[in-house]
Amino acid sequence: MNKCPQYIVEYMHEYLDGDIHREQELELKHHLQMCSNCQQHMHELSDAIAFIKSTTHISAPPTLQANVMQRLPKQKQHVGIQK
Amino acid sequence: MDALINKRIKQVLKGDQSAFSDIVSHYQHSLYQVCYRMLGNKQEAEDIAQEAFVRAYMNLHTFDQKRKFSTWLYRIATNLCIDRLRKKKPDYYLDAEVAGTEGLNMYSQIATDAPLPEEELEKMELQERVQYEISRMPEKYRVVVVLKYIEELSLQEISEVLEMPLGTVKTRLHRGREALRKQLNSL
Repeated sequence: MNKCPQYIVEYMHEYLDGDIHREQELELKHHLQMCSNCQQHMHELSDAIAFIKSTTHISAPPTLQANVMQRLPKQKQHVGIQK
Repeated sequence: MDALINKRIKQVLKGDQSAFSDIVSHYQHSLYQVCYRMLGNKQEAEDIAQEAFVRAYMNLHTFDQKRKFSTWLYRIATNLCIDRLRKKKPDYYLDAEVAGTEGLNMYSQIATDAPLPEEELEKMELQERVQYEISRMPEKYRVVVVLKYIEELSLQEISEVLEMPLGTVKTRLHRGREALRKQLNSL
């Protein structure tokens, strides 16, 4: 069994962060073409991201705003006092 | 938008409490969403989101208006969420390594709660399943993954929200992605 260098996984993450140097990106791509295990690893990472991003955006309950305003301490001074 | 928010902040600081309403209105959905994804429970999420706004109001005079208000607000909310998550945990030896595991400690065990059996997972709706997988991630990775992939903040912004060096954010995001990958492929 040949073991892939650990930095290949590092490069995958740097690539996913959009933060990889050009030469390293080429090395990563070259390696992925040769190594099906790492290719699989890379796919699984991309799938994990797509999975998280598939969350639908949820909205705050309609009562939240009013509840916050109600919880604010009662105002003591008058509006408009300025230095 | 930032200009309008800063105007409202100034009004609140001058004593016009009602101006805070616009601030809440503008950020309520993103703040609630972070809380919900972190806590996995609607009631708790509403509680904590409200608390975050109230704290922001009380501490508004400490906010530096040259900075981004949303970053400051996210910081208050994520701190409250993390406190809440920690309080839920029993206080035995959370850092102790679990026998027979490699590098797994009680933190990671608790985050997983009791993993559901395969047939239960298959019955879940996609959205339910996503939330379940998020809640199984250790919280220090969860917060980074939520801010990055659900709130779509940049790594730089995340580092400001969490008051953590950029390098640490990256490491946690890398580990978070690996954790999620393993969770999803363990079936």
